[in-house]
Amino acid sequence: MSSHESAALTAWRQPTSVRRFTAEQWTDALWGAGQHRCLARLSYRIEDAGCANACPEPAWDLLTSARYYPNFLQVRVAREIRHLHRILRARGIDFVLLKGGAYLSAGFPFARGRGMNDLDLMVRRSALGEAEAALRAAGLVTATLNDYDQHYYRTWMHEIPPLHHPERGVEVDVHHRILPLTSRLNPAPEIMWADAVALPATPGVAILSPPDMLLHTATHLFYDGAILDGFRDLLDIDSLIATHAIAPDYWSRLLGRAASLELGRPLYYALYFARRILATPIPTATMEEAHARFAPGALVRPVMEHLVTRVLPPRPRAARAAPVSAWLLYLRSHWLRMPPGLLARHLGRKGLRRFASDSPAADWPPP
Amino acid sequence: MRTERIGDRGDLHRLAAQGLLYRTGPFVIRLQTRLREVTDTFARIYLGTEVLEDPRLAHFSVRVTASSPLRRPWGAQSQFWIDDIPPFEPYPRTHAFPLLEWGINWCIGTRAHRYLLLHAGALERGGRALLLPAMPGSGKSTLSTALAFRGWRFLSDEFGVILPGAATVAPLPRAIPLKNRSIQVIRDFAPEAVMGPVFEKTRKGDVAHVRPPHDSLARQLENAAPGWIVFPCFRAGGTTAVRTLPRSEAFTRLAQNSFNYRLLGERGFLDLTALVRACACFSLDFSDLDQAVAVIEDLASSA
Repeated sequence: MSSHESAALTAWRQPTSVRRFTAEQWTDALWGAGQHRCLARLSYRIEDAGCANACPEPAWDLLTSARYYPNFLQVRVAREIRHLHRILRARGIDFVLLKGGAYLSAGFPFARGRGMNDLDLMVRRSALGEAEAALRAAGLVTATLNDYDQHYYRTWMHEIPPLHHPERGVEVDVHHRILPLTSRLNPAPEIMWADAVALPATPGVAILSPPDMLLHTATHLFYDGAILDGFRDLLDIDSLIATHAIAPDYWSRLLGRAASLELGRPLYYALYFARRILATPIPTATMEEAHARFAPGALVRPVMEHLVTRVLPPRPRAARAAPVSAWLLYLRSHWLRMPPGLLARHLGRKGLRRFASDSPAADWPPP
Repeated sequence: MRTERIGDRGDLHRLAAQGLLYRTGPFVIRLQTRLREVTDTFARIYLGTEVLEDPRLAHFSVRVTASSPLRRPWGAQSQFWIDDIPPFEPYPRTHAFPLLEWGINWCIGTRAHRYLLLHAGALERGGRALLLPAMPGSGKSTLSTALAFRGWRFLSDEFGVILPGAATVAPLPRAIPLKNRSIQVIRDFAPEAVMGPVFEKTRKGDVAHVRPPHDSLARQLENAAPGWIVFPCFRAGGTTAVRTLPRSEAFTRLAQNSFNYRLLGERGFLDLTALVRACACFSLDFSDLDQAVAVIEDLASSA
């Protein structure tokens, strides 16, 4: 075990290794997992490996204490899903649950301890207006946004401005596709709809197919600005693979879907960095094929390797943060979200607003 | 090997600069600070508490630092850190000790969800715990302190720490922050009480910390069974009035006086129900401490 990596990584990859953890390693592991808000997930991973009894008392106290908040959020999200189902079903509008809401509804074991601050769903673009009207009629509201924000969402983004019900509190993000309209990549939502898997308990509600679920998380992490606080998304990628890769045709379907959805590059990064950072078991043949078909050029690879391995995983407590790498990845994510002219206008506008209101822009600096 | 205790050596300051490990109730704290005014008051309040050996895993690693005099030549400030993150705005440098105590309470109240945490004073007699749940300003700390000097073992002035299953109350004896007029009230009521310095004009007014009685610190790992729940309400100049509460009402009021009842979901409901069923429940209006102590005395010997 190397001292230049966080003990939180060691514990995730090899939960039985915690049996031999020293006090310093525990301190480092709990600090690292706490920084990335994945203590509760780590607690279930350690418990599933039969190592709960091997944890010293303060460690198990902190790991299990961390379960209550995510589980509280999950109860709220599950309740919100029931409300949305009732509201949208009455108008005959189908929807696909994305990310946490999907993992929860599908009953994936790895959803235990996973925090869910909002609920992401996708409706067909043709039904978007009616879905929004139905949700507003049922009491959901938008937090006050100015005209520019409204314009920003409705003209360029992949979702409408976030909604929430004042008494229930859960933020509901209604998407019509998985990337901004202005993004470099253009995965067709109809292709994802075609393979979506219906949830028998709730007619009209579906989740993405196993390959699409992974592609969505990969895209969100590497192409939609999530990378600065993205370790939990990397854990999702690791866990989705562990959940689905037992199907014999999983890997070939995954590569095929990535090609038809034009999401080969994010898939390559997801597989490469999951294996590199979390030792996710990915067949060598799959990795080679992903490399041959989807890898970036030889100049970009070492740059991404350098930046991502500094920013994505927890760092050892004694190591320094990498703010420059984080800043470069932040720039990259914006670059990928919008064409240069639009990006310049958007950032200029945000900068002016910051100047005018003397308050920092909401998404900078990164945490 | 001999156990080292706070006060055994003169150099707590040097130890705290490195990192001082100690227990407060069920929690292990690692405190690191170079501020002598913090360690001086700390040593006085927690005298006799066991110093734990390093390295050891702590529940909460906290630091209290001072702003650099170069950056702030006037209005020196102090900052509380948990895991290298400062959760609050800085305090004036002179308020570093109250900041430390509030900071640790904040860590417990926002993170220790393995326990059902009530906002309550807690005392013990004959193995049974008396819980005094109340909103700030109800006289909870003052009444808890008064009882601590009248034959009750002091468990906490702030937290009713309830273990899963609600059959056990854990002690969390920490410095008792008396506010404003309560400081003089307790000086008159229990002249033997050891108090730290008075910190003037903090966010909660003037504050002075009472040292928990020696027995309370020495037995901080000795749990109690739930016995009585009394909701105190201080009314200046009012008469003493005690009322038996229906369990349903006690339940509702306890739920409102908990740090994490909502968060614990179903387990919170089950534990709170079990707790209320195990206790005799009362409300108590008071203005005179002697009378309040006598009424609680009566309740405890009859219920």
